Amino acid sequence: MHQIHGPVILIELPTFEKSLYDLIKGLRNHKGGEDEYVQDCLRECKAEIKSQDMDKKATALLKLIYLEMFGYDMSWAAFNVLEVMSSSKYLQKRVGYLGAVQSFRPDTEVLMLATNMLKKDIVSPNIPSLSLPLITLPHIITPSLAMSLLPDIISRLSHSSPVVRKKTIVCLYRLALVYPEALKLSWPKIKDHLMDDQEDISVTTAAINVVCELGWRRPQDFLPLAPRLFELLVDSGNNWMAIKIIKLFATLTPLEPRLTRKLLRPLTNIIQTTSAMSLLYECINGIIQGGILDGEENLQERDEVATLCVGKLRGMIVIDSDPNLKYVALLALNRIVTTHPMLVSVQQDVIMDCLDDPDVSIRLQALELAAGIVTSDTLQPVVNRLVNQLQLASLSTSRDAPDPEADAYARAGTESPEGQRASNVGPDPIIDLPSEYRTEVVNRVLDVCSQGNYAEVIDFEWYVGILVKLVSLLPPSGLEEYWQQPQTGQWSSNGSKTTVAYRIGSEIRNVAVRVRGVRREATRSAESLLLVDNRSILFPAGSNVGIDVLGPVAWVVGEYAECLVSPDRTLQSLIDPSNTCLASGTLQLFLQAIPKVFVQLNRTWEARDTWKSELSLLLARVVDFLELLAAHPDLDVQERAIEFLEVLRLGAEAMHSNSQEVPFLLASIIPSLFEGLELNPVALSAQKKVVLPPSLRLDEAFHDDLPGLFRNVDRSMLDVDTRSTLQDFYHVPDLSPPVNKPLYESAPVEMHLDSSYQNTLGRPMEYPSVLEKKKVERRERFRDDPFYIAPGSSSGTSTPIHDVFKSTNGDALDIDSIPIVDLKLDEGQQGRFDRDPLMSRRISPRKMEVATDETFGSDDTPLHDGLAGITGGSTSSKRSLLQVDSSGLGQLSLGRNGDRDAVVAGDEGDAEMKKAMQNVEQMRLHMQRASERIQLEGTPAEGTLVKKKKSKKKLKDGDADKTERSRVRGKKKKKEAA
Amino acid sequence: MINAVLVFNNNGQPRLTKFYTQLDTQTQQSLIEQIYKLVARRPSSACNFLPLPPILSQGAASSSAGPSDAPTQITYRTYATLSFIMISTSTESPLALIDLIQVFVEALDRMFENVCELDLIFGYETMHAVLSEMIVGGVVVETNIDKITAGVRNQEGYAGKKKAVQAASASLGRGALPGLGAWR
Repeated sequence: MHQIHGPVILIELPTFEKSLYDLIKGLRNHKGGEDEYVQDCLRECKAEIKSQDMDKKATALLKLIYLEMFGYDMSWAAFNVLEVMSSSKYLQKRVGYLGAVQSFRPDTEVLMLATNMLKKDIVSPNIPSLSLPLITLPHIITPSLAMSLLPDIISRLSHSSPVVRKKTIVCLYRLALVYPEALKLSWPKIKDHLMDDQEDISVTTAAINVVCELGWRRPQDFLPLAPRLFELLVDSGNNWMAIKIIKLFATLTPLEPRLTRKLLRPLTNIIQTTSAMSLLYECINGIIQGGILDGEENLQERDEVATLCVGKLRGMIVIDSDPNLKYVALLALNRIVTTHPMLVSVQQDVIMDCLDDPDVSIRLQALELAAGIVTSDTLQPVVNRLVNQLQLASLSTSRDAPDPEADAYARAGTESPEGQRASNVGPDPIIDLPSEYRTEVVNRVLDVCSQGNYAEVIDFEWYVGILVKLVSLLPPSGLEEYWQQPQTGQWSSNGSKTTVAYRIGSEIRNVAVRVRGVRREATRSAESLLLVDNRSILFPAGSNVGIDVLGPVAWVVGEYAECLVSPDRTLQSLIDPSNTCLASGTLQLFLQAIPKVFVQLNRTWEARDTWKSELSLLLARVVDFLELLAAHPDLDVQERAIEFLEVLRLGAEAMHSNSQEVPFLLASIIPSLFEGLELNPVALSAQKKVVLPPSLRLDEAFHDDLPGLFRNVDRSMLDVDTRSTLQDFYHVPDLSPPVNKPLYESAPVEMHLDSSYQNTLGRPMEYPSVLEKKKVERRERFRDDPFYIAPGSSSGTSTPIHDVFKSTNGDALDIDSIPIVDLKLDEGQQGRFDRDPLMSRRISPRKMEVATDETFGSDDTPLHDGLAGITGGSTSSKRSLLQVDSSGLGQLSLGRNGDRDAVVAGDEGDAEMKKAMQNVEQMRLHMQRASERIQLEGTPAEGTLVKKKKSKKKLKDGDADKTERSRVRGKKKKKEAA
Repeated sequence: MINAVLVFNNNGQPRLTKFYTQLDTQTQQSLIEQIYKLVARRPSSACNFLPLPPILSQGAASSSAGPSDAPTQITYRTYATLSFIMISTSTESPLALIDLIQVFVEALDRMFENVCELDLIFGYETMHAVLSEMIVGGVVVETNIDKITAGVRNQEGYAGKKKAVQAASASLGRGALPGLGAWR
C-alpha cells in the first residue's frame, strides 16, 4: 500500500497506520458518514497511542488533536500527552506540548507529573525546545506548578535571545494571574528590561503589552513608569506599541492630573499628523477614556481638543467609506456623549444616517448613540424612523414566510406588497434585519421614551400608538432573553426574565397610571390589544412572542374599566377559554381584571330592561371560566380563581330571587371590593422609608405565654368532641374516598365567630368611652401628618367599603386607625380627565403631566441597591466565559512600602505552599503507582518500563528537594529586596 | 488581552482553535458555532466587528464600564474561504486587531507561499506554530512578519512547509487567498 507521510511530523511510518494526512483525506472521502469514520479512527488512535514506538504515539496524538478541534474528547489521553512531551525529538515534543495546550483542562491531574520535565525543558540550550514550555504554560498553569517553576522561568529573563526574553515576560504575567507572588519577584527584572534603552524592541513591546494588561488593575504601581512610557510614545515610532502606551496612559491619567497636561500636546500632535487610523483612533479614545476632557482648568484648550476629536470622528464616519472606521468612530462618540452631549448632538445628522446603515453592528452603535442625544424635539422623528425600519423588516419576513396567514396580513396592511416594496424598500436594500437587532431596537425605543420619567415625550397619544405598533413588530424569535441588556432590564412581577413584550405591556400600564391625560387612550389601546378578535391583526403572525404583553394590559383594562369602549367584548376576551393556556403570571392579572370589568359591565346594564337574563348568562360564563382555573397548577392562579369563583357563585345564587332589582351583593358589595383610592406609582424605596411609630415594637412578644394562650382559646372554644375531631383531622390520615362536594360543606369545624379573644383572656373589654378617647388622641396626633387621612375629609376618601363594615361590625372595627397613604388628587386634573378625547386630540401635542414615583424624604438610597439584591447581585458575580481572572493581582503591591507586609504574607503563603506541595507530592506518587498498575495489567512486556519509572521516581524525589532549596533561595532574594 | 483565536471556513468547519483559557470541549464547540452563525450572515461590506454572541454576553459587563477581564470585542476578517476571529478584552485596540489578523495571514502566506485553505488543513501544526510566535498566553509578543517567520523556520526548517504544500497540491486544486494586499 502506498503511504504518504504526515506533512509536518517528518517520521517514517510503518505501513499499516494512518498519518494525519490520511485521516484528513479519509474525512473528506467519508462525507455524510464522518462520525462513524472518526469513531473508527479514534479506536485506532487509542491503540496506537499505547505503542512503545514514539513515532506512532506522536502521530496518533497529532490525529487526536486534530479531531479535538471538531469536538471529539481526548481528555483520556492526558497521560499519553505527557509521554509525547517528554520525547527527545523536537518535532515530537512539539506535538506533545500542542496536545497539552489544546486538551488539558483545569481538572487534568496528570499535570503534576510534568513538573520535572517542564523544568528540564525550560533550561534547554535549544531555543525552540525552550520556547515550548514558555508558550504552553500560560494555558495549563496552576498555583503549585507556578510556584515550583518560578525560579527557572525568571532565570530566562536574562537569556541572550530576545525571542526567549519576550516570551518569558508574557509567561510570567500569566503565572502571576494564578500565583501573584510571581509578579512580585519578577517585576524588578521586567522593569529593568522596560527601562533599558538598548533592549530589543520586541521585548519592550511585550513588556508594554503586559503592563497594559496589569495597568487597569493597579494603576498606582505604574505611575513611576510614566516618564519612560512618555519617551517611548514620542520617540519609538512603533505604532503597535504607541497604541498600547496610550491605552495604558488612559488608566493612569485619572490618578495623576499633571500627566494630562503633559500628554495633551503630543496626543494632539499625533492626531493631527498620523496617517495610521488605528493610532489616530486610539489617541482620541485615550483622550476620552483618560478623562482629559473632563477637568475644570484650561477650559479653552480642552474644548479645542474635544472639538478636534469630534471633528476627526465625524471625518471617519463621513469621508472614509470604511465601515470599520464608521463603527469605531461611533464607539468613541458613545464614550464622549456621557461627558459632552452637546458636542455629539451637533453631529446628529451623520449619526442618524448611520441608523440606516446596511451594517447591523454600525446600526446598533448608532442606536445607542441616538438614545444618548435625543431631546424632546428629536425624539419623535428618531423613534418614527426606527419603527418604520422595523415595519419594513417585518414586511419582508412575512413576505418570505410560507404561512398564508402572514401573507394575508401583509396584504391587509398594504394594498399591494409588491408596490410597497418598490416604493418604500427601494432606497434601502437591506431589510432582512436579524431578530436580535429588532428586539434591541424595541428595547431602545422603550428606553429612550421612558427615560427620566418620560421627560422627552411630549405627545403621549403618539407614544401609546407606537407601543401598540411595536407589539405587532416584535421579531419572531425565542432568542430575545439573551440579548437583553442588563441595564435596560426591568423586573417583572413574577421575578422571571422580562421579555420585550412584557416591557411593552408595562409601558402601556405606566402611561395609563402616570399620565391621566391619556388614560382613556391608553386604556382603549390596551383594550384593542386584549380583544381576542384583534390578536391576528395586532400581534406578529405565526408566533406567540407578543403574548407577554397581555398581563399588564389586562391590569389596565380592569383598573380603568370605565374608559373601555366595550366592556362587554373585553370581558368576553378575558374569559375566552383559550386563555387558560396563558402563562400563570399573565393569568393572575387576568383573574384580577375579570371581576373589575364585570362590575363595570353590570353598572352599564342596570338601566336596561333585560338586565336580569343577560346578567345571569354572563355570570354563568364567568363562573365557567373561573372553574376551568380552579384547579390550575399555579397556586396563585388557583387561589385567585377560587376566591372570585365563590364570590360570583354567591352572586349567581342571589340572582335566583324574584326581585326585579339587582341583588345587593352584585350592586354594591362586589363593586366596593374594587373601589377606593386611586393607585399611584410608588417608588421602590418608599416602603423602606416609612418611619415606624415609636409605640410600635415589632420585636416584643404579644404575650409571654403565647402557646398557653392558644391552648386556653382552644379549650374554651371547643367542647371535647369537636376538639378530638379537629385533632383527628390533622393527625389521622384520611382514608375515606374523596367526597365530591364543595369544600366548604365538608368543613369539619364550626367557627364560633361571636366569641372574642379578649373575653377568653378574662381581660375587661375596653369601654366605648375609653375607645372614643383613644380615637380622639390618635386623630390629634395624626392631624398634621399628611400620610394619615383626616376624619373631616372622609367624604372624598372614604369609600363604601367602610360603610359596609361599619354597619356589620359597629364601631368596634376602627378603620381610621389603619394608616392609609393620603393620595388626595388634584381637582384640576380631574377636569381634564373628563374632556372629550376628540377635542384633546385636536390640540395635541401638549405637555402632559406625568406622575412621578411617590416617595418621601430625599431619594438618597439609589434604586439599584434594592435591585442589586434581587437581580444584579447574581449577574455581577457570574463570570463571563473565556474570562481570565486577574482579580488576584488587585491586592498585590509592587511599590516599596508594600514590601514589608508582602514578606509576612509571603511567609504565610510559603507555609501554605509547603502543605500544598506535600499534597502534590503525595498525589503524584499515588498517580504514578496507579499508572504503573495499569501498565502491568495491560501489557506484560512493560517490565522495563516499570523499572524506568522507579528510577524516575527517585529522581523526582531528588528534584523535590531541589525545588525546596530553590524556593528558599527565592525567599532570601525577597528579603534582600526588602 | 486576546481570549481566543479561531479560524473556520465558510461552512463553519474549524481550521484552528486556540483558547487562552481552559474551556471544556463542549463549550468550545458551541462558542465556535455561535460565532460562525454571526459571521455567516454578514455581508462582505459589513464592518469587521461582531456583537457578542449569547454565550459570551451573559455576565459580560457593558462596554462603557471601562476595562475588565471579560471579553468585550470580537474582530474578524474573511479571506476567500476562511474567516479569522479574535476574541479580546477592551485592552486591545479594535483596529489594531484587524491589522494583527492581517499580519497572521501574511505570515502564513510567507510560510506556505500563496496560502490556501488546504495548506492550513494539512499544515495544521505550522499554523499553530505561527500563531504561537505572535501571541503567547493571550498577549501579543510579535507583530513583525520577518521575525515571526524566522521563529517558525527556526523550529521546523523549510521542510515542513514543503511537505505540506506537496501533500496538499498532489491531489487537490489550489487557490490562494485573495485580499492579501497591504491593508491600509
